[in-house]
Amino acid sequence: MLKQELETTFDNITIRMEKKNQLELSITKDGIMSVLSFLKNKGYDHLHVISCVDWIDDKQLELVYILSAYMKQDVPGETEQLNILLKTRIGRDDPKYITSIALFPAAEPYEREIHEMFGVDFLGHPRLTPLLLERDYDIPPFRKDFDTKQYVDDVFGSVPSVEGEDKN
Amino acid sequence: MRELELYYGPQHLGMVGNFSLTLQVEGDKILKASANPGYLHRGFEKLMEKRSWIKNFPMVCRINVIEPDSMEMIYSMGVEKLAGIEVPERAHFIRSIFLELARVGSHLFGLWAYANMLGFDTVAQWAMYHRDLVLDLFEELTGGRVYHIYIWPGGVRRDFPEGFKDKIVKTLHTIGGCVPDYDSTFFNNRLFYERACNVGKVSRAEAMEMGGVGQVIRATGMAYDIRKVEPYAAYDRVPWNVPTRKEGDAFSRIWIVRDEMIESVHMIFKLLDEMPEGNVYNRIPNPFKWRIPEGEAYVRCESSRGELGLYMVSDGGKEPYRAHFRTPSYSHGLTVLEKALEGANISDVGNIMMSLYVVAPEIDR
Amino acid sequence: MDRNQLKKWFQNPVKMAHKYSLHVVYFCTGCGIIEIPPSITARWDAERFGIIPVATPRQASLFIIAGYVSLKTLRSIIRTYEQMPEPKFTVSLGSCPINGGMYYDSYNTIKHLEKYIPVDGMIAGCMPRPEAIFVGVTHLWTLIDKDMADGYKRYRSNYSAYRANQEKILGKLEWPPLFPIHGEE
Repeated sequence: MLKQELETTFDNITIRMEKKNQLELSITKDGIMSVLSFLKNKGYDHLHVISCVDWIDDKQLELVYILSAYMKQDVPGETEQLNILLKTRIGRDDPKYITSIALFPAAEPYEREIHEMFGVDFLGHPRLTPLLLERDYDIPPFRKDFDTKQYVDDVFGSVPSVEGEDKN
Repeated sequence: MRELELYYGPQHLGMVGNFSLTLQVEGDKILKASANPGYLHRGFEKLMEKRSWIKNFPMVCRINVIEPDSMEMIYSMGVEKLAGIEVPERAHFIRSIFLELARVGSHLFGLWAYANMLGFDTVAQWAMYHRDLVLDLFEELTGGRVYHIYIWPGGVRRDFPEGFKDKIVKTLHTIGGCVPDYDSTFFNNRLFYERACNVGKVSRAEAMEMGGVGQVIRATGMAYDIRKVEPYAAYDRVPWNVPTRKEGDAFSRIWIVRDEMIESVHMIFKLLDEMPEGNVYNRIPNPFKWRIPEGEAYVRCESSRGELGLYMVSDGGKEPYRAHFRTPSYSHGLTVLEKALEGANISDVGNIMMSLYVVAPEIDR
Repeated sequence: MDRNQLKKWFQNPVKMAHKYSLHVVYFCTGCGIIEIPPSITARWDAERFGIIPVATPRQASLFIIAGYVSLKTLRSIIRTYEQMPEPKFTVSLGSCPINGGMYYDSYNTIKHLEKYIPVDGMIAGCMPRPEAIFVGVTHLWTLIDKDMADGYKRYRSNYSAYRANQEKILGKLEWPPLFPIHGEE
């Protein structure tokens, strides 16, 4: 039923359900907030995670909102526990998006982390300060074109030993 | 009164591992707290993209140091869902028993930390000793004390050795026989009640809003447990209950930990009784040439700290294209903790943090 | 107390006291810390070896660096180490501080700990079992006996080089140097 309701309410939405308990929705980037609030009103009020995938060949970043209902009894007519993967793609160069904190306060640290690791700017986020990292990186480290091995050789390999006897 | 900024951790006695907080205080009342994680960040999710599917097992089990087994389980579940591998029935039972043992061990570690922080040193020593008995079982079964790499895609690495069932029963009876001692010294102790009651209260609406799972949401009266909600392994084969309480404070969260341990022990006995004979391992393709078809999967399981999720994407290659772990401590240690600390007393910071059951490496990954 | 050691106690009581009362900084720097609680509690009982955790680095003489060191932790490790009074000893647990271990290609962990602070002993393994920790500590006794656990002296004499390495990785450090820094020779 959820499938039909989504199809009638929203235009350009693609729905796939190939694996068990897993509903994949794709939508253009301006539709996410309305779909999120629609699902929240339906009872899918538990935001598990916001993830990001770097599709470097398509020059796009994909934001993935994963949510489900806390209890399936909360959703009328629900027969199985459903995990909803809501996906949208944004441009890879200078990526910007809007925050979803107003709908889901749990989104705050996830958006902060995506900002740090992928360089996505979430407009309206109260604090996009560094969360996990200590150094500044030219390319955000979770992007596919950031080569960790090369970085390690450049940065840590160039630190000299302190004492003479360690050199041999 | 003057406002001060107080740095709490990472080198601090009341700290859960390597983690720190910045507190805005006025007198000894906390006005605002902001968590500062990242001391244990290793970039696992990036490193996993460079290693083959099977080589990732030593990586994933190091994400949560205290309970590595649920991490192995979630990664195996993700690989199985992506590659469409079936697991034999006996392996399901062995996995459940193994995970429940790990839960008991992990809760005993949590009890050590919590009791030590409140000053109940005796209970702390007992808990750590009993955890060591569980680790001895793991050592006999897998060869490792802390990291096991026992659960694999397609089943488990080896069957139980001869006489192992009796050893599990004996160890659990040893631990279970001390429950009255634990109760009279710690859980029913007036000092514990005075110290933890009405401390760090999180209401159900707040917990749901901020993504609370595990003990945090079960302490508010909601029986939310992935083992019931979305059963995996052999958890739907035996009857068991989800312990809940109503108050939502530190006291009820720690009592739930105790009840869960006892429930786990009972569940292990039931699982041991109903364990079928048979194969424990379905062959997987040659792991060095293993390519998993394109697709994406989201799986979740219940670790000892709450709901654990894994979002994994494969592009048909030898390595995962992207893996993202949704760990329970992430929302507990960042959003719920910051909320629960507002208005609390400085002396309760450790109390609240330990009762929320935050593990720092899970946040940082 | 071992009666054969009585002579040593009379000859050099200070050194013997350092040796048999190692006070450990309570700092969970990495995943190696998972084996520290078992070793200090009832079953393995590290107090047999005179090891006891203390609350602040000002009271401590042994710093166990447990496991991999990320960049953010390195900053607090250096601060903690500089706060400890001399004589102070450092022991690292696990493979990761030796050469990076399994995080050899991680962008956020350092690979060779001895380039940033002096290390007196390294216990290999992932994780080292409690027995390995005790073997490491008894080796440290031997080193103290022979005046070979001289990390704090090396830190003093090579401070400029250590500080340069630390600043190379962490950027300008916000606290003043512990010892005077010599210019370029």
